[in-house]
Amino acid sequence: MRKGPIIITAAVALFFVISWIIKSGGAPEGSSSYDAIAEGFWLTFAAFLTLAILSFLYKDNPFYKFAEHLYVGVSAAYWMSLGFWTTLVANLFPRISMTLSEWFQVEFISYQYHFWVPPILGVLLLMRLSPKGGWLSRWALAFIVGTTAGLNLPRFLRSDFIEQISSTMLPILVNWQGFGDFFTNFSLSASGQFVSIVSNFLVVLGVLCGIIYFFFSKEHKGAFGAASRFGIWVLMVTFGASFGYTVMGRISLLVGRLTFLLDDWLGIISG
Amino acid sequence: MKIKIIALMAMLLLLASVGWGQEEAAIDSTVQEVIPPGPPLNLKAFDKPYDNGHAIDLTWDLSVDDGAGRNNIIEYRLMRADSPEGPFVERKKLEMGKTEAEDKGVKEPDDPNYFPREHDFYYKVVAVTADAEAESEVVGPVRGIGQWYNAGKNPVAVAVVLFTVFTIYFIFKAKKGAELYIRPLAGIDAVDEAIGRATEMGKPILYVLGLGTAADIATIASFTILSRVAQKVAEYQTSLIVPCYDPIVMTIAQETVKASYYSAGRPDAYNQDSVFFVTNQQFAYVGGVNGIMLRDRPATNFYLGKFYAESLIMAETGAVAGSIQIAGTDEVTQIPFFVVACDYTLIGEELYAASAYLGREPVLLGTLKAQDYAKALVIICCIIGFIAASFGWTWFVEQFHVGN
Amino acid sequence: MTNIGVIISMVFIFGGLLAIMIYSLRGKDIDRRIIFLFVFISVATSVIFNVEFKEYPTVIVKKVFDKIESLPPGSKVLISFDFDPAMKPEVFPMANAFVRHCLVKGHKIYLMTIWATGQALMNETVETVIKEEFPDAVYGEDYVTLGFKAGGVGVLNVIITDFRKMYPTDEHGTSLDSIPLFAEVKSAKDLDLVLPIGGGQPGPKEWILFIGDPGDVPIAPGLAAVVAPLIYPYYPKQAIGLLGGVKGAAEYESLLRQVYPQFQDVPAPALRMMGPQTMAHIVIMAFIVIGNITYFRSRRRGAE
Repeated sequence: MRKGPIIITAAVALFFVISWIIKSGGAPEGSSSYDAIAEGFWLTFAAFLTLAILSFLYKDNPFYKFAEHLYVGVSAAYWMSLGFWTTLVANLFPRISMTLSEWFQVEFISYQYHFWVPPILGVLLLMRLSPKGGWLSRWALAFIVGTTAGLNLPRFLRSDFIEQISSTMLPILVNWQGFGDFFTNFSLSASGQFVSIVSNFLVVLGVLCGIIYFFFSKEHKGAFGAASRFGIWVLMVTFGASFGYTVMGRISLLVGRLTFLLDDWLGIISG
Repeated sequence: MKIKIIALMAMLLLLASVGWGQEEAAIDSTVQEVIPPGPPLNLKAFDKPYDNGHAIDLTWDLSVDDGAGRNNIIEYRLMRADSPEGPFVERKKLEMGKTEAEDKGVKEPDDPNYFPREHDFYYKVVAVTADAEAESEVVGPVRGIGQWYNAGKNPVAVAVVLFTVFTIYFIFKAKKGAELYIRPLAGIDAVDEAIGRATEMGKPILYVLGLGTAADIATIASFTILSRVAQKVAEYQTSLIVPCYDPIVMTIAQETVKASYYSAGRPDAYNQDSVFFVTNQQFAYVGGVNGIMLRDRPATNFYLGKFYAESLIMAETGAVAGSIQIAGTDEVTQIPFFVVACDYTLIGEELYAASAYLGREPVLLGTLKAQDYAKALVIICCIIGFIAASFGWTWFVEQFHVGN
Repeated sequence: MTNIGVIISMVFIFGGLLAIMIYSLRGKDIDRRIIFLFVFISVATSVIFNVEFKEYPTVIVKKVFDKIESLPPGSKVLISFDFDPAMKPEVFPMANAFVRHCLVKGHKIYLMTIWATGQALMNETVETVIKEEFPDAVYGEDYVTLGFKAGGVGVLNVIITDFRKMYPTDEHGTSLDSIPLFAEVKSAKDLDLVLPIGGGQPGPKEWILFIGDPGDVPIAPGLAAVVAPLIYPYYPKQAIGLLGGVKGAAEYESLLRQVYPQFQDVPAPALRMMGPQTMAHIVIMAFIVIGNITYFRSRRRGAE
């Protein structure tokens, strides 16, 4: 075995232990020594995992792999146990079985026989694992797809279609009192008349040209082509905004992690 | 002199008469009685048509003192009771000049504003002045009845019906073999070019179907494009690599590629191992695909289907490896990453359009055409609505309001 | 000391950027790890030296603030914690600012979550904001925590008609019928304002679709930056205003400090994050500019 990895692993382990010892000493007053040691360990472990994940930016390495696998394993187990306690124990058992409710110490509500349908569909869904009964899972899937489509279609048609069309029907002249009033009260503030007029116009134009870009039955030539080109510009601006927001979001996460490392773990933040 | 005396007496008489008149007026104002206004007339109450049964409509004629007569009506009050004798409870206040009202409540029995269905109610309307009131006749019994059709949701119904009609019509038309025009897309033209380039360079083509399941429309659209790509690959004898995330998607992809090789007349060239399962762990899958990109250096990468956070990682690695990249997804949040890192990107619906264009599948073609017609309608409605809103014609804009 | 630190790091960052520009103009490639390093240094130094900038609220954020301001005391406001620890740095400051604002205005707040991971964060707000800063707030009379229920949009579909069908009890097992805050609340339609905070699915969009539009309830979402552009089309009709990412949160915190001076000393994590955020953005913009200059220059050379 090469020496390099052994030295690096040993160094990381040493740093871990030193950090654990130091952080165990800084526990709040009144807490027991056991609590302090545990607190020190978890803080150090969280910092180690953060650094292990960030180390991927340099290159793939065993520490990153360890953190990633730990994360995948823990989150799978967490969601599974959470699903059991919040769905089966909290919602199902109090409605189908008094014995199970008592066993899991939840208040029994009443026998509601239609609550047997979801567990039956759940079992059908699991039949996917059976080599012969796999087809049975399609019934449960059909139910899921059907109810989801049924529940969502009217809502989406209302909120994402009709209401959005209605939101595009904006007046071009906002609070129009004549040219005199427009020029005397001219302002470039975001809530001012001029900005409202321009933004209403841009919203309408952007929506129309955006739709024209996604119009596939006619070749994009002449005025139609010009509108479509404007549409793609509007889309690109939207993507730019989306990209910018994503960068902001990711940097926020980085700031959050670095604040944890520098403040909670190392305690070197001023102010 | 005589004339002066007559004039003086006349003036005295005049003054006296004025004084007497004033005195009389003063007496009058102290003893004036409060005169009630004319009551609202002709009150009618009936079930609100085409609703969920929790509302009653009322109409009446204005009081004679509203806008005419003494013109002193301030407001009307709508009163409701369970029996003609009362007690009446105020349900609504209405401005003067109103001749109709809707008494609407909710269907939940515990709600303070509960309005029971099929329950007898009695109504009266009270005209109110500053100091007096006048009641209409009591009308009733009247009951709210739910209809099968709720007119408040008209716009949604119209949208569903129109779109369904368009879709069915165009699917039938496509099935009958009608030539439905779809404009060429830049990304599609690039597909053939990219395959040609891979052939010239003697390097493989990588086709990624994304993280979607076989039920996702984006994945289904991607299968159609994969079929076309595989056919060209078979014709040009280039190699194809299709790493899969979902086992079911992998099975379908294998069948698709196999069928394409058959239809290109090259069943012998088909290698089942070219379509394989990697893993269904998101980032582990990305790691696997990135490894292929860096090791095999494909000339062309296709990313068509459903993509999430892995989009940029894959597209960036492909760009570093120097491949031509064509991407397409309906995941709006991922499109920007593909736009910056790929040579061609099929934006949202373009992916479906590309699939319909290449596959000529009647269902896809018909749906796409139906969507185009729906879009044309939306454009027309938006333009009329824009003009209507600008000129203050609220009627048209209100038609797009969905009630509850 | 702080100022010297800031100056040294600025010199290092901008000097480095200049060097990179010269290097890349000579046609050499920059390793991507250099970009990571610059972003890291700009964020780390700003965090260490606590670089802060003044925030000017935008109209879209101010509308949310004004809505809470204009509601009469005692109004019923629901705050939903639909996020996980990964989104926490961005959206948790919004949740705390909303809670502070509502309680200082005397509104009644209902806390819930449709994300399992939101429950612990909701309780953190109760412990660190409500109990510490508003010790007079009474549970059940001024605020209530409903906790998490599994079911995603199914939960929203039920509470639009009846809270009690989905939540027979609050988080602590107390029947809703014995909680004063629920005396006049049967369904989500009885609320005066809903503030969903999150960025995933189900999240703010589902609150608009399943509660805001059908129930006619005003919605003002607090959003993780990634989804903010997707929710913008719902403003101003279906969402009265919105807070997008840490910038929206910082604007809200600065508004709260302006109007309520008693909050000057309470932590404002979003405002604090805007310093590192701004510095990182400057570095990223510089890289975009350098990249584009180099690209166009190399293209022109290629054309020649």
